[in-house]
Amino acid sequence: MTAVRGRGARTVLACGEVRTCLLPSLQALDARAAAQLLRLRADVPVRISERPVLHALSPEVLTGVDCRLPTADGSRVRGVGTVTARAALTEGRLLQATACFSLPAAGPDTRRPWGQYLVRPGLVEPFGKLPRQATAAGVLRGAGRGELDLGMISEGLLAQVRRHPLLDRRVPFKSGPTRLRWVAWRTPAGERAALVNFTVAEGGLRTVELRLPEDVPASAAAGLCEDLALHDWLLTTVQHLLDNSRLGAADGPSAVGALYPVVVHLLHLWMPRAHVDPALGHLWDALEDRPGFSRQWENLSRRIRDRLALQAVAVPHQALGTR
Amino acid sequence: MTGAVFQETTAELRTQSVPLAHLSLELGHLYMEDFEAGPARLREHFAEVRIWADAVRASAARRSKRPRISTCFLVDDYFTRFSTPAELVPMVLAEAERAGLVIDYLARESACAVADRIELAESVTHRLVESPPPGSHGSRPPVSRTGWLANGERTPAGPRSALGEVKGWQPPQETAARNHSIFMDVELWSERDGRRLWSCPFLAAVWQLARLGLLRHLGEPVLVPAQWTGTDFPQDWDRLPPLVRLTDTAAAFSAYRTCTLLPNRFLAVEDAVRLILDQTDVDAGALRQVAERSAAEGMPVPAAVAQRAGYVFYEEPGGFSEAGET
Repeated sequence: MTAVRGRGARTVLACGEVRTCLLPSLQALDARAAAQLLRLRADVPVRISERPVLHALSPEVLTGVDCRLPTADGSRVRGVGTVTARAALTEGRLLQATACFSLPAAGPDTRRPWGQYLVRPGLVEPFGKLPRQATAAGVLRGAGRGELDLGMISEGLLAQVRRHPLLDRRVPFKSGPTRLRWVAWRTPAGERAALVNFTVAEGGLRTVELRLPEDVPASAAAGLCEDLALHDWLLTTVQHLLDNSRLGAADGPSAVGALYPVVVHLLHLWMPRAHVDPALGHLWDALEDRPGFSRQWENLSRRIRDRLALQAVAVPHQALGTR
Repeated sequence: MTGAVFQETTAELRTQSVPLAHLSLELGHLYMEDFEAGPARLREHFAEVRIWADAVRASAARRSKRPRISTCFLVDDYFTRFSTPAELVPMVLAEAERAGLVIDYLARESACAVADRIELAESVTHRLVESPPPGSHGSRPPVSRTGWLANGERTPAGPRSALGEVKGWQPPQETAARNHSIFMDVELWSERDGRRLWSCPFLAAVWQLARLGLLRHLGEPVLVPAQWTGTDFPQDWDRLPPLVRLTDTAAAFSAYRTCTLLPNRFLAVEDAVRLILDQTDVDAGALRQVAERSAAEGMPVPAAVAQRAGYVFYEEPGGFSEAGET
């Protein structure tokens, strides 16, 4: 661990939390409106990418913190620095907010002038040595009272964006938000990044563990986790809508009505790795192998399409018109 | 995404670089009361400044054999409008020349609020990241909404105990205090008739960021100097570009470091400027460019932005200080 106190100190752990929800707007936003919505700073542009899906990424904003780091074993370590947060909008429909920071292996025992933290955005320095395992486990478990709270920061940004006057605060269908917490263990540069774990827990909580080479920025890991969270949200939400529509039992216009929003708003959003850093694109492969995210999605979409096709044959046109 | 065949320019962030001198030396800052005191006051000012300017040049020569130094002068046209460029600028230049000083760049103070239709001051407010007092775990709002910025925790407002017990006075606390606090709370703006009036320290902080080459708008440089070749200056301040180059100097307006020469009554203002700079998250691309280029020239800048600004405070020359304090 050389030069941990230097300006370009190496980080050993990156962590973050992504919150994903449906944009509270009856209409999906186009690129221009998306840029307006996510303009968190007047002097930094919103990054807009229209291919293969419309993706808008806000500038990063910083939150200063000076508090205990979340630790699973109760060890008390004070951390000082900044947490970066950003918001993303996909196809003008799915809104996400990520808060993340990186940690070096050790830091000075005193608080330094604030300007010195600000020139290294997204870095939180521990006082003394970082208990790496306990901190990673603590982040995945979630912050305790008075501990650095990534969920609060990402939720705060999400709430700020949702309050934007551009939005009519109406949703085309009901859905729940999801949270995805992630940690990335830093590995030597040149090694291949890896997905160590993806856990679907209760209450809309997902956790991800990555191995991330030093030469890949933490923002790339954040981008990957946003992509994972987005597709996990799609699977979760569509599955839920299908369950509620009692596809097997119900028939007639009610089932069609329940499936209509899926077709109109969600089916075209499935586009894994569309905006993932090329160094991390292959991490999707593990999830495609097992449990097979895309296989499940294809299966769900097929069921919906088959159902609607059957309906179209059985019922005259007016049923489809009722949404 | 990097190294890809397919690219979308709207998906990328780029920060254009700006030319940089070694040192930006400010020779003065003219307010209405200085102007009203007549040319003699300017003459005294420049005679005093000349001495310190020479000292600053000698200091810069210790870092580099051929230091690139640009000089600048700021005229207040924001808080009070007085005189005209046609009348004032030639007088300033003549008095500077009499003292053996050359002013390379002249700026209007209102340029720190809005320049070329870009709201510079407003943009900088979005970049304020308050220094978190111990215990801040992410619940504080990221940007000051009150228009005040402090270097610590304020005295709690009023008795607020739910049980009705009256709490005694509690002192404010400087976050970076060494044993004892020096607490400071700076007003960044006020509202008047629905219009925001920026405070002098806040505009001065924007001015420092411009001189340090750290301001951008959507990745493009701002406050780019316009060359002034004509001899006749306009009758109206609005017709003078926000920043003009008056000489054919090769030294750029922005620089790795700044040095500002001021009468000592400005000490509090500049202390407030440092407080603001210390809590400003500047453009990361611009920050990197300055760090890399200064290091390549063997004169790396201090990591913290506020540390790059140097000052000389001097006693206002004979008999004029009283007039300035009104």
